Amino acid sequence: MSDLGAVRAATAAGADSNASRPVSKRSAVPGPSAFVGLAIGAVFAVPAVYVAAQVVTLNTPFAKTLEEIQGPLWRTLQLAALVSATAALIGTLLAWVTVRTDLPFRKAWRVALVLPLVLPSFVGAGAFIAGVTPGGIIHETLLALGFTPPRRFRGLGASWLVLSAFTYPYVMLPVSARLTSLRTSVEESARMLGCSARQAFVRVVLPEIRPAILAGALLVFLYTLSEFGAVQLLGYDTLTRVIFATRQADRAVSFAAAAALLVLATLVVIAERRFRGRAVPDQRPAGAQRPAELGWRKLPATLACAAVLTAGLIIPVTSLLLWAVRGIRDGAIAFGDLVEPTVNTAGVALVTAVITVIVILPIATETTRRPGPIPAVAAAAVLGGFAIPGLVIALALAVIALNASGVGWLYQSLVLLILGYVVHFGSQALASAEQAVRAVPVRVREQARLLEPVAIRRATQIDVPLMRPGLVAGGGLVMLATLKELPVTLLLAPIGFSTLATEIWGGFTEGFYAETGVASLLLIAVSASLTWLLVLRPTIRS
Amino acid sequence: MLDIFWMDGPTLVGMSTHRRLLSLAFCITIALAASACSGDDGDSITLYSGRGAGLIQPIIDRFEDESGINVNVKYGNTADLALLISEESAAGRIEADVYLSQSPGAMGFLDDDLAQLPPATLDLVAPTTRDDDGRWVGISGRQRVLVYNSDAVDPADLPDSVFDLVDERWRGQVGVAGGNGSFQDFVTAMRFTEGEDVTAKWLNDLESIDPVAYPNNNSIVAAVGRGEVEVGLVNHYYNYRALAEDPGVASVNHLFVAGDPGGTLIVTAAAIIDGTDKADFANEFITFLLSPEGQQYFAEETFEYPLVPGTPTAGNVPEIEFDDVGSLDLDELEGGLARTRELIADAGLES
Repeated sequence: MSDLGAVRAATAAGADSNASRPVSKRSAVPGPSAFVGLAIGAVFAVPAVYVAAQVVTLNTPFAKTLEEIQGPLWRTLQLAALVSATAALIGTLLAWVTVRTDLPFRKAWRVALVLPLVLPSFVGAGAFIAGVTPGGIIHETLLALGFTPPRRFRGLGASWLVLSAFTYPYVMLPVSARLTSLRTSVEESARMLGCSARQAFVRVVLPEIRPAILAGALLVFLYTLSEFGAVQLLGYDTLTRVIFATRQADRAVSFAAAAALLVLATLVVIAERRFRGRAVPDQRPAGAQRPAELGWRKLPATLACAAVLTAGLIIPVTSLLLWAVRGIRDGAIAFGDLVEPTVNTAGVALVTAVITVIVILPIATETTRRPGPIPAVAAAAVLGGFAIPGLVIALALAVIALNASGVGWLYQSLVLLILGYVVHFGSQALASAEQAVRAVPVRVREQARLLEPVAIRRATQIDVPLMRPGLVAGGGLVMLATLKELPVTLLLAPIGFSTLATEIWGGFTEGFYAETGVASLLLIAVSASLTWLLVLRPTIRS
Repeated sequence: MLDIFWMDGPTLVGMSTHRRLLSLAFCITIALAASACSGDDGDSITLYSGRGAGLIQPIIDRFEDESGINVNVKYGNTADLALLISEESAAGRIEADVYLSQSPGAMGFLDDDLAQLPPATLDLVAPTTRDDDGRWVGISGRQRVLVYNSDAVDPADLPDSVFDLVDERWRGQVGVAGGNGSFQDFVTAMRFTEGEDVTAKWLNDLESIDPVAYPNNNSIVAAVGRGEVEVGLVNHYYNYRALAEDPGVASVNHLFVAGDPGGTLIVTAAAIIDGTDKADFANEFITFLLSPEGQQYFAEETFEYPLVPGTPTAGNVPEIEFDDVGSLDLDELEGGLARTRELIADAGLES
């Protein structure tokens, strides 16, 4: 016990300079654990297999389908590329400014700048549109200032802006984490050897944070592929519109469009794995970091942070507040009705987060310690679950629960609902689970094996504590995604089971904006406090 | 502070929070499982509702109070729920007893999965607002109207007929929800009253004046209210809801002249799922929606048209004669939906 403690302490002190020696020779031969990962991956592949099976059985006419989805496919690609590139840029810059500089109030910025992640996209977009079009606070302010803003806010540009403003935290979070754990001394050495600040960033820092940028940008890309609610409101016609518009009348086309999304997702996942490379990260502890001095750039940097936060949070929240206040003033809101949905929302999100992390860990272990084709396939299956719309995942799971023998009891049960969430959001835990696995260096594992023969005790004494920050982070992202999930919840939840997202949707589609406003603000409050209580505070204290 | 997200590198942490988290998750699982298992004691039916809780839950509550029958509701999108019911029926598992849809189109999709309604229930409404095969019955009606922004449009400019809407005056100013069920039902109605060619031409003409696409009626009303477009083709009652939320809003309904296809009546419909063992309770529920109390609720609380003859509309909703609202045969409306979608898509109006 005390020996193990010493191993851990030694790791923490950075004595283990050989921390991330490349994987051992065993990696060539897939062990039995590879197949555990593959089996888990198979569960994630269920919706994809269902889509493929439907495309085959419905005998989709290839030429006709291609003609129908051509335009939307091209538009989807454009949007996904623009949004992920923009999110990568904004996310990286914000991470650098809030972690590595002497920006005033940078800790407060780091918390606030994550919040755009918590609104369901349809209500976020709806509230955003209400804010920037005539009658909205932004529109009126610009008018008062003498500008004439456009009456309409729609199309590619609008979708690009809104989705980028809502998704950059997917990049900012991993890059912030990487920058925090990356020592500044190498950068400083580079400066002393004559590099300019920009050269030092490009040559020294960028290679280290590149995997984090790519992992985040990939999530943004997949998110944009499967996005429906926001782009529909913003009048931008993508593949998901085809999937939805034809889901009753022309199912063959609907499934073909979903299959196209999956192919696209697979290509992007492969590309990302290629680009990420096999570079061994610098895992030495960060030590004291010396923030870069912004000097006169403090003002523009602060303004940039404020601008991003305005787009991602302040504009939509202002509209939501306006709707909510109007309803509260009229006495139209029954707060008591929101208690049960709030409890349900928090409950399923927590359970989903814990289960997702447990399920993803074996795959992350394989991809990190014994990379090869089998773990790669399992990881691709997990990532694919984020690229198809929740509606398709929900239908696939419903059809299987209804028809496969022995699993009928799953239908309309919480188990199936949570399974749906896990399949849809497993990808969000994957990258941070991989980081978590890397946090247990090879030498530490070898030393532990010598000192503690019982595997289970090694796991609880060494692995879990060292992995914990990464696992909690992954679980946190899954929790945030589940809190706001809508289509899977609507179709798979047990009868009478409502969440805040279903309440928000119910109000929004029928024009009960007051209810929408109150429920949305409640969702933001619940998301923020759960993130603080369960993810941020325990780590800070320890 | 947020470093813990994706944090790299070793950190020393105690186990206590971790264990506490796990046990918390465990307790929640138990609690959720318990809450999900409760219910289904005594008389109850399961309702799949494509109409939102805000519109429909109050009248369901009243039914529960008066009948003693418990109604378990699954809310969702009209089309998604129809898909779910058809999958359930195909698997031989009847979960829903009653289905409420926002338009007759989804009923046509289900057709064989729906049970025959008792004649007494069907006879509560006029023959034009129920299924000829007796598989569904209309519950409430919404009239198609042209909503306009009263700050931007002189009421004298407003067209009498939907055919006059396709005019340069309205270029880039018409809000349309081509993928929405009510718009499609309205186009189907136009096909039957005006014929295929006239309808196709109208759709093409409409497309040629650059209409602006929205996902649904509600977002059109909101867009017209804030002046994003000057007019929009919608169901009448959304504007009354908008006024209830914000009395200052600038959107106003304009009715096309009597008999114009632009003013078609679109009904919401109820059906009993074929194979349910609770057909009696299900019928009792549907009959309640068609009772004076139920019909009055739809008239006064959701600003719709009651379908049972003799029920008055809400004070600010103009009375209409059903015969005046396009003489559409709802049965043909069902079968024609696929063709309607094709016409809409061909004109380039689907999204």
